[in-house]
Amino acid sequence: MAGIDTGGGGGHGGRRTSNHEIPLIPFIDFLLCLVMFLLVTAVWSQMARINADARVPGPPKPDQPVDVKKEKQLHVEMRGDRKFQLVWKEGSTVVNTIDVPRKKVKIGSAGDYTYPDLAKKVSSEWKQNGSHRAATDKKFDQAVLHTDNTTPFSDVIAVIDAIYTPQRDFSFGGKSEKVPAFNVTFSVN
Amino acid sequence: MSEKALSRFEQPIKVPGRRLLHHIPLGFVRHKVVGGGRRASNHEIPLIPFIDFLLCIVLFLLASFSATGQIPVDKNVKLPKAENVMDMVDAPMVAITGTQILVDGNPAGSTRAIEEANRLQRVDELFNVLKNKRELWKQVNPGKPFPGVAILQVDRRVPALVVKSVFQTSAFAGYPNISFMVGRLGEPGG
Repeated sequence: MAGIDTGGGGGHGGRRTSNHEIPLIPFIDFLLCLVMFLLVTAVWSQMARINADARVPGPPKPDQPVDVKKEKQLHVEMRGDRKFQLVWKEGSTVVNTIDVPRKKVKIGSAGDYTYPDLAKKVSSEWKQNGSHRAATDKKFDQAVLHTDNTTPFSDVIAVIDAIYTPQRDFSFGGKSEKVPAFNVTFSVN
Repeated sequence: MSEKALSRFEQPIKVPGRRLLHHIPLGFVRHKVVGGGRRASNHEIPLIPFIDFLLCIVLFLLASFSATGQIPVDKNVKLPKAENVMDMVDAPMVAITGTQILVDGNPAGSTRAIEEANRLQRVDELFNVLKNKRELWKQVNPGKPFPGVAILQVDRRVPALVVKSVFQTSAFAGYPNISFMVGRLGEPGG
């Protein structure tokens, strides 16, 4: 047991003893309770989120210019079973079309999978055709996902994950960080 | 001086032995004082390193404690996993479990109508619940811009038609910044 010993006689001459024992056992009990509580409440499976913005039409803003230059958008078609189709469009004009084989790579035993070929192709396409690369650029390149109604959600997430593979610097409030180069939205048709 | 004559090997001066409590004429006291040739039976348990160890564990657990990932997930919902993810934020949680739609754990419609119609359509109940939540937020935070963030917690087997319908409904109710809840790839759970 830990204690404080001042080397005094202790109790002689009508004085109080100056040696004190620090009660360590209750302190250890308290620490053990704290450890147990933290272990029980600890979150071992951290959840995360993957972003997908919806572009909802609204009333036209009076300060918005009428003739806005139409930017290139990457349309990702995942309708067939064999391939993905990457289509660069400016408005309704098709600029370029690229086919990518639809090869799943399974990860783990839980049935998760990725599309590494699609991720590589999207990255190389953004390097060639991406419009918003500067860290100070507040806008992002837009990707639109076209999918079948019957496609399972896990497949949709695997494709969105592949689209988010190319990353760029983004400085905001004096801080710079890596963020996905594309902003993904769903096509309703 | 003793009566016996000192031999040439006997020294008159001896190395002094233990003198403590030797005046007590009891054998067991002498035995205890001298030590008796046995090891001491009292042992000190080193508590200070043990406390240091416990404190290190407590500090580690406190540092790694994060409330942001502590979001209840329905046991019937199996979330997909992704690699390029962001940390969770505090936002209304729209969960699709089987055919039921829940907003923060409260029922807010069904997906049955969408599956039967087999086309994209608005879920009115969900729309009203989200719209009310938005109006409540604006009343509580007057003058602040509404973030419009909602998180969809969707099972990996749910068809895209249902996801798109809920996505569009949320967007039209004033939540255009939709995030999908996923597990981090390479980590257990999710």
